[in-house]
Amino acid sequence: MITESIEEYLEAIFRLREQGEAATTTSVAKELKVAPASATQMLKKLAKQGYLKYTPYHGVTLTPKGEKIGKKILRKHRVMQKFLNTMGLPKSRVHKNACELEHHISDDLEQAIYQRVESERPLPPGIPRDVTPITSLLDGRKGIISHISGGRGASQRLADLGLTPGTEVMVVKSAIFHGPLMVRVRGTTLAIGRGLASKIFVRTR
Amino acid sequence: MSAAEKKLIRIALAGNANVGKSVIFNYLTGLHQHIGNWPGKTVEKAEGTLHFRGHTIDILDLPGIYSLSAFSIEELISREYIAIEKPDLVINVVDASALERNLFFTLQLIELETPMIVALNQMDVAEGKGITIDVPKLQESLGVPVVPTVATKGVGLSKLLGKALKVARAKKPAKPLRYGREIEERIRKVTKLVENIPIKYPPRWVAIKLLEGDEEIRKIVGEIDPRIISSAEKYCRDLERIHGEPCPTIMTSERYDIANKIARGSQRITPPKGPTLTERLDMVATHPLMGYPILIGIIFLTLLAVFTVGGYLSRFFEDAMEPVRGAFGGGAGELIGEGLLGGLIAGIAIVLPFILPFYLILTLLEDSGYLPRAAFMMDSLMHKMGIHGKAFIPFILGYGCNVPACLGCRIMETERERTIAAFVVTLVPCAAVTVVVLGLVGAFVGIHWALALYLLNLVIIFILGRIAFKVLPGEPMGLIMEMPPYRKPHARTVLKETWMRVKDFAYIAFPLIIIGSVVLTGLKVGGLLEPIGNAMSPITVGWLGLPAIAGALLIFGVLRKELTLVMLATLMGTANFGAVLTPTQMIVFAIVVMYYIPCIATIAALVKELGWKKAAYITVFEIAFALLLGGIAFRLLTLA
Repeated sequence: MITESIEEYLEAIFRLREQGEAATTTSVAKELKVAPASATQMLKKLAKQGYLKYTPYHGVTLTPKGEKIGKKILRKHRVMQKFLNTMGLPKSRVHKNACELEHHISDDLEQAIYQRVESERPLPPGIPRDVTPITSLLDGRKGIISHISGGRGASQRLADLGLTPGTEVMVVKSAIFHGPLMVRVRGTTLAIGRGLASKIFVRTR
Repeated sequence: MSAAEKKLIRIALAGNANVGKSVIFNYLTGLHQHIGNWPGKTVEKAEGTLHFRGHTIDILDLPGIYSLSAFSIEELISREYIAIEKPDLVINVVDASALERNLFFTLQLIELETPMIVALNQMDVAEGKGITIDVPKLQESLGVPVVPTVATKGVGLSKLLGKALKVARAKKPAKPLRYGREIEERIRKVTKLVENIPIKYPPRWVAIKLLEGDEEIRKIVGEIDPRIISSAEKYCRDLERIHGEPCPTIMTSERYDIANKIARGSQRITPPKGPTLTERLDMVATHPLMGYPILIGIIFLTLLAVFTVGGYLSRFFEDAMEPVRGAFGGGAGELIGEGLLGGLIAGIAIVLPFILPFYLILTLLEDSGYLPRAAFMMDSLMHKMGIHGKAFIPFILGYGCNVPACLGCRIMETERERTIAAFVVTLVPCAAVTVVVLGLVGAFVGIHWALALYLLNLVIIFILGRIAFKVLPGEPMGLIMEMPPYRKPHARTVLKETWMRVKDFAYIAFPLIIIGSVVLTGLKVGGLLEPIGNAMSPITVGWLGLPAIAGALLIFGVLRKELTLVMLATLMGTANFGAVLTPTQMIVFAIVVMYYIPCIATIAALVKELGWKKAAYITVFEIAFALLLGGIAFRLLTLA
């Protein structure tokens, strides 16, 4: 039986990982605003049920089973958040409501809402299925930045040069031997090392 | 205050890299400029003076940067200078052909609330890209005066100066632009909190930086009142909840949104039909098959030019100086002739002839836009030694001379990257080391042994580079750089930049070379070489298995590495080294010479680029490493 609490934990862990942070007992507890002791207990329980691998003091990683749920809930959260925004709900109430609704909407309802929100706004929310690292695009293909994972310095640098979420980028060419990518963004051309580029996630059409 | 002081106006030039900032700087200041380092920093500081309508104007060229975050020292220096030293005016040089990205930086400058004007430069390049800009409209949206210019042709620059004078005298600070409602509300709240604390930055700017999570500003404010930090964090979380992204990203995105709106509102783009010249050149220059031969050709030509021109100049100077040096005799005479003049000659005849053509070519490659393409193609290989593509050019030049190679490491963006690159470069065997390796091992042991030493050197560079990459503190930063369009190098700027850099290097390196030369000659004249050699014998004889004379040779090698071979011949009384040294001794000696210390001119270059402390670390490490490697080689070779 997957309880709301289990879903909350898996979502939080997935979110941390997506931001490039380690999911430790402390960071999970902080993310969910619970006591570290109860987080420890819950993580052990989740490990026993096969949702994650847990090593004391070294944080957790999600198993494919746990990741599937975490990702789904986070996506629902973001879809609901965007939906509620377009519905004109005061911004202060959006997050709280999305937090509750994410556990209750069915997959097909989420799909339907997602389609609707997308048709109204060109930049849809969440982790849509078609998000890939920019390094997987072929030369000449375009994508819209969904998010950047990775350290503070790297993402700040990329953002400073115009690679912010929602921006369209085109891969001009990628160098051979696993070399850097040449991309066009905001009317300028940049070269980005492969390692750094693999942290840029884009949505393709 | 005297009348003259009253008329002194301080102007700072700020803008992205590759926007023509230095062209404007050179145009305005002519030869009245001075390039040094920022106090206590290894960042270049270019200042100049000009006289205009009875005013003396001091112009400071700030480093080319893309943002005012605390990402690099260049950015920190720039924002500290503008906010704390408060120049009378900031001229923001903007590339009209990449308006949106440039305006992102303009918005940040405006937030520092100093009087400011925009030089809308490279209007001709923009035109070529089919971009027309409505200047009055741009001016209205930004709220600061905008003057269109084409700096390479001097167009619009006197108008720029006239406007600069007017705005500087009016002393009216630029007015920051507004963010979205929910962000603006939080900025206002945090501004209230920081309004009355003693901090030299504008309160609104501090508030924005706190919301961005700027580490430097958080530290400063946190020491005054930590409660402000926690309030700002709370507002950050509010924003994160609303936008679903981390706060720094929200702020950057918002700023780019504003830049985008202004750019879209004031420019019209009719893209030219067919690919542009840059695109066509890039098809060839960065082509997987054609690009590499071109790159190799350019490197080859560069090395050839540097060493034929350098070699010719070097011989010319040396011949010209020889009679002067010979005129001195006796103990004191030798000190002057050998030491003082010898040092000066070494500087003029050996270092300068190679530095001058090197700088000229590097500046040309930089200015034409080819350098970024070379970095693009070599990034993946250079990565394996812990540095990225931009370090490729210095690396290759290291095989000629380590000095310009170290200076070339300036093109690396962060301190961390610069340090690793300079370290790797000092491990590359330069031409002088090649003389020793070929002249000793190649000639008397066998050419395959000499090649083996070079191969070993490459392996060691890869390993040490990786280790430096792992152990140096700081976030490793992959390659990220702009690929500016190709352009015809601007002769005046290239020549002036070359001259400034050479002059700048001479100031640092010459004293060191001359002092080093005098000290070493003093040791020789004073008969101290032998005692020193003896004192070093536990290492040279005991650990490395070399003859006792090696100690003195190695000391001389600090000045110029090929001197070790020259002096070996003098002291042994023969150039047939096979008769006086065993093959093992020759190999060990060559290994030690290869790694043991960067020569004194290279140390000077390291000091200039990295500061005293890091230069000392690298020097000490390399001495220890050379001895370790030499000792191991000695034991392995005698074992076999």
